[in-house]
Amino acid sequence: MENRKISGFNTLHPAVLFTYFVSVVIVAMFCTNPVMLFLALIGGVSFFGVMKGAKLFFQDLCFYILMAVFIAIINPLFSHNGVTPLFFMNGNPVTLEAILYGVDIALMLVGVIYWCKCYSEVMTTDKFLFLFGKAVPKLSLVLSAALRFIPLFRRKLKEIRSVQSSLGLYEKKGMINRVTAELKVFSSLITWSLENSVDTGASMKARGYGLKGRTHFSVFTFRKRDLGYLICIIVLVGIVILGMSMGISDFKFYPEISEFNFGLKQIAVYISFGILSFIPFLSELWEVIMWKYSASKI
Amino acid sequence: MKIKIIKQILLWVIIPLIIIFGVVIFYDRAYAWISLCVAISGCIPFFLTYEKRQGNTIKLVILAVLIALSVAGRFIFSFLPHFKPVTAIVVLTGIYMGYEAGFVCGAFTALISNFIFGQGPWTPFQMFIWGLIGCLAGLLNKFLLKNFVLLLVFGAVAGVLFSCFMDIWTTFWYDGTFNMGRYLANIITALPVTVSYAVSNLIFLLILAKPFGKKLERLKIKYGV
Repeated sequence: MENRKISGFNTLHPAVLFTYFVSVVIVAMFCTNPVMLFLALIGGVSFFGVMKGAKLFFQDLCFYILMAVFIAIINPLFSHNGVTPLFFMNGNPVTLEAILYGVDIALMLVGVIYWCKCYSEVMTTDKFLFLFGKAVPKLSLVLSAALRFIPLFRRKLKEIRSVQSSLGLYEKKGMINRVTAELKVFSSLITWSLENSVDTGASMKARGYGLKGRTHFSVFTFRKRDLGYLICIIVLVGIVILGMSMGISDFKFYPEISEFNFGLKQIAVYISFGILSFIPFLSELWEVIMWKYSASKI
Repeated sequence: MKIKIIKQILLWVIIPLIIIFGVVIFYDRAYAWISLCVAISGCIPFFLTYEKRQGNTIKLVILAVLIALSVAGRFIFSFLPHFKPVTAIVVLTGIYMGYEAGFVCGAFTALISNFIFGQGPWTPFQMFIWGLIGCLAGLLNKFLLKNFVLLLVFGAVAGVLFSCFMDIWTTFWYDGTFNMGRYLANIITALPVTVSYAVSNLIFLLILAKPFGKKLERLKIKYGV
């Protein structure tokens, strides 16, 4: 939270952001074409890098590279499809296709995880509630109330703990004593929070919550810029999905690996998806350049 | 009435269309696509039902408190890995507040705790499975309230089922098809986690179930909720 910067892509309208993330993640999650998976991965990683800064970025990246290698190694153990056996292990063939499919899956997994991390950074709970609040007002009340209660309960928890520890609750050492002590604290938290919440509910009811004609406050407006981004996203996703449904970007690993095709149609699909997955990175970069440019004029 | 029509259209037209569409486009990963669609679309009817039926503001707030408690419980017991009161609270919510509330409690706990611990492709599955556990507890509430041992068994089984279902998703996502070898390997590597889920559910239900019922009873008497 503390190193979240105000940035170009973050400030788009929540509906545009949600459309964007859903379309990229779905394509990245379910397509098998290594070129597209690679584009998605690089797009996600570079966006995350721009958002979070270099230090955190490299810490994370090392972990995920290890994970990817592990997945690629593990796959041939479970999958014996493919026509090019490299060697036999316990009587089962370890095939080239299975190893490469493992690499492909690893690309996909790491790419999707990075996109989800970016999603968590960008689509904060207020944007999420803004999007779904109108469709399901009662559920969104439950969600936002629960989100507000969590920090409240953590603070209350501290209070209960300190009172109880001054009464000698945490004196006995050992795991079982610790668990029973925490259970006691948890139980009193439940009692307090239930009683307290009824007051909240009654007060809301008294002020006419749930009556007709209630309006919502929101800080989000749909600007021209949002419309531009939205059209751009829809056109690009449209091209990609059309391409996928026509089988242009099909790529098979079993039984034999398909050859890479770089015809005009394939390149069109790859370029559209490439642009799509680099939109956030490019818009962040654009902001930085514009900022430097305007600062240099002062 | 409007919600009912939307629900029917969703169930019989839109969801099958989305699934067919996805199977055509993502031919190699059709199973993963279908399972994701089922998980997401499975949540929608429950949400709409809750939205339609629940009119009592106080009950809404109580549900919010229960969700927040089960998320906060993850922080309290963070010193013991996988030892969480989440399922126990979801089950108790289902029993005492009805099956729709149980579903919403389970699903929202997954959603909110992933806002804190990180969203991922597993979110819809956790939402759906925890929701189903709450819903089942709500539907079986007569038996579970009468027979305490049955409640404990339900909690333990829910822990095991949760783990097994999440492994199904992992398998689909990795392989595109249901690879039995990988599924078994996933289950075996997740065995310690599964056991600690089951044990923690059992312990939390054993300790929380009765006081929890009393506390809700007290609310009913004191405030007439």
